[in-house]
Amino acid sequence: MRPVKRYWTRRLGGAACVVAIVLVANFFLFRLMPGDPVATVLDPRFSPEAKAQLEALYGLDQPLGVQFLLYLRRMATFDFGLSFSTQRPVLEEILERLPNTLALLVPAYLLSVLLGTVLGVIAARRRGHLAEKAVLAAGAVSFSFPSFFVQMVLLLLFAYVFPVFPLRGSLSIPPPEGTWRILADRIWHLALPVFSLVLLGFGGWALTVRNLVVKVMGEDFMILARAKGIGERRLLWGHALRAALPPLLTLFLLSLPGVVSGAVLTETVFSLHGVGRFLLDSVLGQDYPAAGGAFYLLTLITVGSNLLADFLVQLADPRIKTGGEESR
Amino acid sequence: MKMRWSAWVLAVFLFCGFLLPLFLKGDPREPVAAPFSKPVWADRTQAPAMSLTVPTGEAGKTFSWSWEAPRGLSVTGEVLFAKTPSKAALIWETPAGAKWVLSDLSGQNRWTLDLDARDMAFRISLGLSPFDESLRGLFDKHGMIRVRIESDVPVERSSLLVKIPGERWGLFGTDQRGRDVFLLFLYGIRVSLFVGILAVLVSSLIGLDAGLVAGYVGGAADTFLMRTVDVLLSVPLLPVLMVLAALWGKGLWQLVLILGLFSWMGTARTVRSMALSFREAPYVEGLRALGAPTFYILARHGIPTVLPLLLANIALGVPGVILSEAALAYLGLSDPRVISWGRMLHEAQSFGAFTTGAWWLLLPPGLGIALLCLAFMDLGRALEEWADPRLKGGRA
Amino acid sequence: MIEIEGLSVSYRSGKKEEQALSGVSLSLPSGQITGLVGESGSGKTTLVMAILGLLPPEARVAGRILVDGVDVVGMAENERDRFRWRRVALVPQGSQNAFNPVLSIGSQVAEPLRVHRGLGRREAERRARMLLDEVGLGSKAAERFPHELSGGQRQRAALAMALSCDPAFLLADEPTTALDVLIQAEIADLLKRAVRERKMGMALVTHDLPLASGLCETICVLDGGRLVETILAKDLARGAKHPRTRALVAALLEMEGNLS
Ligand SMILES: Nc1ncnc2c1ncn2[C@@H]1O[C@H](COP(=O)(O)OP(=O)(O)O)[C@@H](O)[C@H]1O
Ligand SMILES: [Mg+2]
Repeated sequence: MRPVKRYWTRRLGGAACVVAIVLVANFFLFRLMPGDPVATVLDPRFSPEAKAQLEALYGLDQPLGVQFLLYLRRMATFDFGLSFSTQRPVLEEILERLPNTLALLVPAYLLSVLLGTVLGVIAARRRGHLAEKAVLAAGAVSFSFPSFFVQMVLLLLFAYVFPVFPLRGSLSIPPPEGTWRILADRIWHLALPVFSLVLLGFGGWALTVRNLVVKVMGEDFMILARAKGIGERRLLWGHALRAALPPLLTLFLLSLPGVVSGAVLTETVFSLHGVGRFLLDSVLGQDYPAAGGAFYLLTLITVGSNLLADFLVQLADPRIKTGGEESR
Repeated sequence: MKMRWSAWVLAVFLFCGFLLPLFLKGDPREPVAAPFSKPVWADRTQAPAMSLTVPTGEAGKTFSWSWEAPRGLSVTGEVLFAKTPSKAALIWETPAGAKWVLSDLSGQNRWTLDLDARDMAFRISLGLSPFDESLRGLFDKHGMIRVRIESDVPVERSSLLVKIPGERWGLFGTDQRGRDVFLLFLYGIRVSLFVGILAVLVSSLIGLDAGLVAGYVGGAADTFLMRTVDVLLSVPLLPVLMVLAALWGKGLWQLVLILGLFSWMGTARTVRSMALSFREAPYVEGLRALGAPTFYILARHGIPTVLPLLLANIALGVPGVILSEAALAYLGLSDPRVISWGRMLHEAQSFGAFTTGAWWLLLPPGLGIALLCLAFMDLGRALEEWADPRLKGGRA
Repeated sequence: MIEIEGLSVSYRSGKKEEQALSGVSLSLPSGQITGLVGESGSGKTTLVMAILGLLPPEARVAGRILVDGVDVVGMAENERDRFRWRRVALVPQGSQNAFNPVLSIGSQVAEPLRVHRGLGRREAERRARMLLDEVGLGSKAAERFPHELSGGQRQRAALAMALSCDPAFLLADEPTTALDVLIQAEIADLLKRAVRERKMGMALVTHDLPLASGLCETICVLDGGRLVETILAKDLARGAKHPRTRALVAALLEMEGNLS
């Protein structure tokens, strides 16, 4: 088998495994527990029409195997049924919240990776200097302080003591008039959550970058690169960071599942109208179709971004293409 | 070996979590002062909680007042006169010289009082506005206040207790139900330590077995276990924990199991790489050649080889578990009857810490978690250096 | 012309201090190949690295190294970058890990041209392909990555890279060690041709006396960090005074005797 093919067989196989396990787990967990659809059919909260609809949807009169196939078909078409609590399609609820979650996570993680990389490289070059100490401290904070605690303190500081940012929500109530005003209002609501995620995220990332770059700086090829007299900047960014890129991307990839956890907590602290918060509310309210759907979609997003990151690793590391040593 | 700071911190935490509550009387679940009271050291313009007995003598009880008027005041207890007084009263003299009759005690030789400033009837009888929260009339300026029983007959016995709940209480103040945050904080140590250490033991046990089997036996077992690790590492942890906690119940033991089941991956990888080199060691090959059973080799020689690093791994694993437990509790997925730091933060958020600016509800549990995590990380580093002295000094 | 005067280098690791070079003085004239011969651990690599200012931070350097008459000991990094590669280039010892594993050979050969000559990317890579062709790798090698080349091919690529800015002086640190005998000869030929054609000076570091005597005009023998003898290659068989040199020559003669 060609190396690239082997690489992708492994990655795609892993991704398929994750999705399959989550599907099976979802199916059984949500069926075996109190408040499962079978019991809910007997719930007086539901009108007879709703019960009939539910029975048909889950195929509750059919054997378990058929139920599973029906379930698979629904999952494949993202048909998660109606939410118990709002009686609206779960997919609709999730899609309504997804932009908020993405608007939180994408800028936050791009900024923390950017900031962390720059500071990490600087810290790697100036060992023992202030930059390195700052990076070490920020890293220790991000590994030992509960993220939600730091966010709560920030919220208390910047929304209560110095009320510059709003206490809660993704949008003012009532929302302002006009597209630009709404946009500005959304940014105002997102500023503190994004800032807090950057503050919590860049330290760990900078520490990783620093450690990898320090390791690369000790390698033989860095001596020759220095001999070429190409200047400190090219040496650091062009050679050291470039050589550290494949393992860095791999680590970034490993951190992606944590991003989803971060979304749940951040959206809870700041009361944002996002998917993570939706998952929490569904779990707390025993709204199984909603919780299952949100969990499944979040897993899909994680697996999808994992594959994307794998693709980037493959681009960054020529050794994978031709089967040299793999970077992890 | 020099005593690491982390060892001191852990010792103090252990003492505070397990021994100190034995000496402190009081149930942490019971209110002790007004809700949202600040810590005593925080705001000196606010009154601390006070509790004064009124003696039988003519002079009564005098105390000095130098704070803003409080919102609460209560008088409870019994008075017994030698014989029925024709004229008697419980008198309150303010620093400015005003005289208030808190309660008329004439015409009866035994009185049981239960007065509370939150009580409309009491306020009206005093002539206070039923709507103005503060008792500005009774505390008209800073100075000496006197409470006494005035009567034409001697007072035989008095168990009258004047209580001012105050706006300041204890080391860390009180929460939304008036519970002592310091006591809650102490009880929270137990949960964090209990869940943190037990869950890591569970996960280390799994990780040790999985790592040894994967590294030493190899082959299909290795492939299977390492694929499992990859899969577990690519699933978002917190949502899984949330769903499991909601489905399996929120008890501490369930939590320990759930957290243990989802945090053994790192240990398995570490142990596996050690087992790989252990398998190639000459004495192990010798044992194999002599026909020693795999189980014997692993139990007798494998585990002792990986043990030092495993200990370091255990210590380094505790922060992750403590943080996960706190996150679950913060999200409201913990047993509400169990006091934990995460639960305290959950309640702080749900019951208006942000609308009242009650920072003292946030800082103790949050900083407690952080300090405990930092201590375990430092301990783990020390154990790591002990297991592998090459790490000493320059850690990359 | 590189002149070395009283060069001493020691490495500190913890409390231990290891003297790698003590009071070495020699000159490496331009337009000539000078051999630096000595056993493993005698300080040859240290000498070469000291010239380019590439010693690790734990190294202590004393003495003077004049490159074109300028002392480079204790120079700042950015000043060193002015003579590195433009005046003095390096073919490193064991080019196994000499190349950045994630960058293509072409881009690494072109890099000095872009920095020192200010060429654009296209032009620099065109020149790089020409250089790779010249050292017998073929211009296709430009798109390949270090791990795809054999040891000999990597050594050729390293030579192409060293030649990229037409340096006045080439430092070749054991360029043929760890290669097959046949490939050793090819690389030696290549070095000789390149130096002759470009009228460069070269310091050839090796513990292989036959190679040195075949290529060099002058040979400097290092032993335990000291320069023990400087001798013309043609006088090697008879004129060696120092016992270390004689031992080396005796071993060489014996080997030749065995071969014939
Ligand atoms: N980075 C270093 N730290 C400590 N000692 C070193 C270091 N590099 C080289 N040495 C020591 O310096 C001496 C000379 O080494 P080197 O210049 O590499 O010799 P050669 O290239 O002739 O084999 C050796 O004894 C070696 O152990
Ligand atoms: Mg050498």
